[in-house]
Amino acid sequence: MVLAAALATPVLEVKHPAGLNFTLQNSPTSRKYLIETMPGGVALLDYNNDGLLDIFLVNGGRVTSSMEIPETFDRSDPLNWNRLYRQNKDGSFTDVTKEAGLANPGDGNYGMGVAVGDYDNDGYPDLYVTNYGKNILYHNNGDGTFTDVTAKAGVAAGGWSASAGFFDYDNDGKLDLFVTRYMEWDTKHSKTCGGEWHTYCPPEEFPATTSILFHNRGDGTFEDVSQRSGVAAKKGRGLGVAFADYDDDGLTDIFVANDGMQQFLFHNNGNGTFTERSLDAGAALSEDGRRLSGMGVVFQDYDNDGRPDIIVTELPREIYGVYHNEGKGLFSYQSLETGLGMLSSGSSGWGVGLEDFDNDGWKDLFVAQGHVLDNVEQIDPSLHYRELPLLALNRGGRFERTDPGTGSPVAARGAAFGDLNNDGWQDVVMTVLGEQPQVFVNPRGKQHWLAVKLRGTRSNRDGLGARVRVNGQTRFATTAGSYLSASDKRLHFGLGAAQAARIEIAWPSGVRQTLNDVHADQFLEVVEAEKP
Amino acid sequence: MFLAWQTSSPEVLTHLQAGAEAEKNGHFETAISEFRKVTELEPAVATGFVSLGQAYLENHDYAGAIAPLKQALRLSSGLRPAHQLLGYALLAQGYATEAIPHLEKAQDTAALGIAQLEAGQLSDAVANLQAAVSKHPNDPDLLYYFGRASGLLSKQSIDTLIAAYPDSGRAHQAMAENYYVLRQMPQAEKEFQATIRLRPDLPNIHLELGLVYAGASQWPRAEEAFRAETKLQPGSAEAAYRLGNALLQQGKVREARAELTRADKLQPEMPETLYSLGKAASLEGDALSAEHAWRKVIEVEKESSLVAQAHFALAGLYRKQGKSEEAEREMAEFKKLQNAAPPPEGPQN
Repeated sequence: MVLAAALATPVLEVKHPAGLNFTLQNSPTSRKYLIETMPGGVALLDYNNDGLLDIFLVNGGRVTSSMEIPETFDRSDPLNWNRLYRQNKDGSFTDVTKEAGLANPGDGNYGMGVAVGDYDNDGYPDLYVTNYGKNILYHNNGDGTFTDVTAKAGVAAGGWSASAGFFDYDNDGKLDLFVTRYMEWDTKHSKTCGGEWHTYCPPEEFPATTSILFHNRGDGTFEDVSQRSGVAAKKGRGLGVAFADYDDDGLTDIFVANDGMQQFLFHNNGNGTFTERSLDAGAALSEDGRRLSGMGVVFQDYDNDGRPDIIVTELPREIYGVYHNEGKGLFSYQSLETGLGMLSSGSSGWGVGLEDFDNDGWKDLFVAQGHVLDNVEQIDPSLHYRELPLLALNRGGRFERTDPGTGSPVAARGAAFGDLNNDGWQDVVMTVLGEQPQVFVNPRGKQHWLAVKLRGTRSNRDGLGARVRVNGQTRFATTAGSYLSASDKRLHFGLGAAQAARIEIAWPSGVRQTLNDVHADQFLEVVEAEKP
Repeated sequence: MFLAWQTSSPEVLTHLQAGAEAEKNGHFETAISEFRKVTELEPAVATGFVSLGQAYLENHDYAGAIAPLKQALRLSSGLRPAHQLLGYALLAQGYATEAIPHLEKAQDTAALGIAQLEAGQLSDAVANLQAAVSKHPNDPDLLYYFGRASGLLSKQSIDTLIAAYPDSGRAHQAMAENYYVLRQMPQAEKEFQATIRLRPDLPNIHLELGLVYAGASQWPRAEEAFRAETKLQPGSAEAAYRLGNALLQQGKVREARAELTRADKLQPEMPETLYSLGKAASLEGDALSAEHAWRKVIEVEKESSLVAQAHFALAGLYRKQGKSEEAEREMAEFKKLQNAAPPPEGPQN
């Protein structure tokens, strides 16, 4: 058995695609400015609609020690730009940052994350980049270039933004925008902690702050409805955000992973307001009522019961939180039952995804890992700043660790998921502090698969928020989730031995569509029916 | 004035009264001057020197107090107040060894214990300070000195053990425990393992090693160590509880429940055991037993973070059962306790 396991082909393999020469500049200093250990995001999107996934990587910036006030972060230096890499037909990448108009993201911004969504329904994915500082909305012009439309759109926000995501909370067919903010921290009030160890401070050292909800007016502008919607009524330390309709009322709800406190589950009331229900729904704290260091989050169905569950990545000793959706708007904490408790008790998790990497019909778990503190080994030798990612295969609802495809521990942060080479097997791009991203390519197997690309007509163009059921598995259409990152909008399903599939789609508009006897092993675009 | 005075000289009496009055009013310089005149007028009477020495002490002039007090003892060697005050003065000046015979004669166990502590006579210091603490159990100074003396005595004993028998099991155990307290876990683990190699039959060694592993969430190794302890000490409720908890953390629910039930039988009403027992029962789908165990935690413990956890767990249990009213009630209790004292953090960093 041991030999067989050792000889088994890894589910993922790290590759170094030609042309992908990005280095995440987080600029660690002796002053331990907290922003240094928190970036950076990655997005997988097909910005030029050529059918190949491209990669957008968010950079941090240069931090002086001690930090200048105001700090510029040297974002005009090409070393510190965010980067867009266009995928070529041969699988290599070309840096198109400058020609795409994404160079020099502006002084005063230290990069964090990225959200992807077609907010103007023109068929081209747009980019929203979060920062410590002002955020940036880049409109995709459809000709390979982007335009910074932040000022016109009114979505600059400010403060310290982390994960963001596009979703349609009022089902009006236009994507709205949710932005988590981490805390009220600025360069003037930075401090170090840990006494003689001189470490980054825990989040409790800084005041909590509000997340922001922008409503899409449909004319290229957004309205900040944080107060009116009730989102701003709760102050948190948001790092991760994911969307799904957890109570099956046809409205997309929001889960915010908060660091060092209770998590937030914003229930969509359907009238433009949200109510924070995490405590009453059983998705706020650990099984023992302890607050968690929530960082990344995924809101998908891991046990194929049709209901979206929540997995939150955290710091060591807390174990990653698995909130199983019991129906009727309630969750139960099942980290131990799923085996994830044992797999995560010594690790720090960030980017996270539930993807069926072995196409057996059960979504597996990938977590980008690495401790917050770059000197954690000095404080506790059993913990590690650099870790291997966690790849856990899903065996009927229980997770089992498997070879992640790399033996080199890194300080990983963001992770985005998608099928880079369109072979029907899910791949991963993971960001690494101070280093190049790691690209995990799935070497294929014998199982069948199906990838569904939604095209909304009454709903938003990409069908974000749709519930898609294929042969008993369910996915909620989203590009959000993970940590600071945005994933492929196509919905991937492993079909196991099945060569045909039945697809049931519940569009955000309320339209329901069923497709029978769909051939396996294809990318299928489904256009929303005009009538229910 | 604690000394009865007998004199026929009105002049001496005048100075004595003036000195006493000045001392009462905190005018110690005046008191010293008046008592000095008394000693000059009656140089053969010891009590005058004692009064003068006491005035010096009250003026915090410990060096000045020593000479008159010594003179008092030359005149009357058995005078206990003089011994006591001289002991204080010498101790305050750092002459602990010299202070000890005087404090012994004064039978002042508290000051004697402190002097012995300072002089490194730790066993005697612990004995005298313990006697003093039993008489004055709420004296923070005495508690401090007693704690310090006990700690130093313990360290001295351990140092002797390590120096004399460095390769003994007990020496490794002592070093392991020291590392554990200092949170130097790799070293602690190494020393505990060395102890086990030499003395596998020592009680608590496997338990302590298991705690090192549990602290690092290395549950399979913790299980192994706790299991060894339960074999060694089948009557230890703590070993059974720790083993049950390690099993629970690994999702080995049935085994965990059996072990926790055993722990509960060995030492009933241990809140930690009951809480974990509730968790194990809940994981096995035995809601009734889980409810019973968590209710018992609340009954036994009254106020603690464990009580908050029990209310939180009960809320989840009732929520699952569709008993929303009960769930809300438990959640309200949890929130009340949470507001009183924020919930425990996960063990960060």
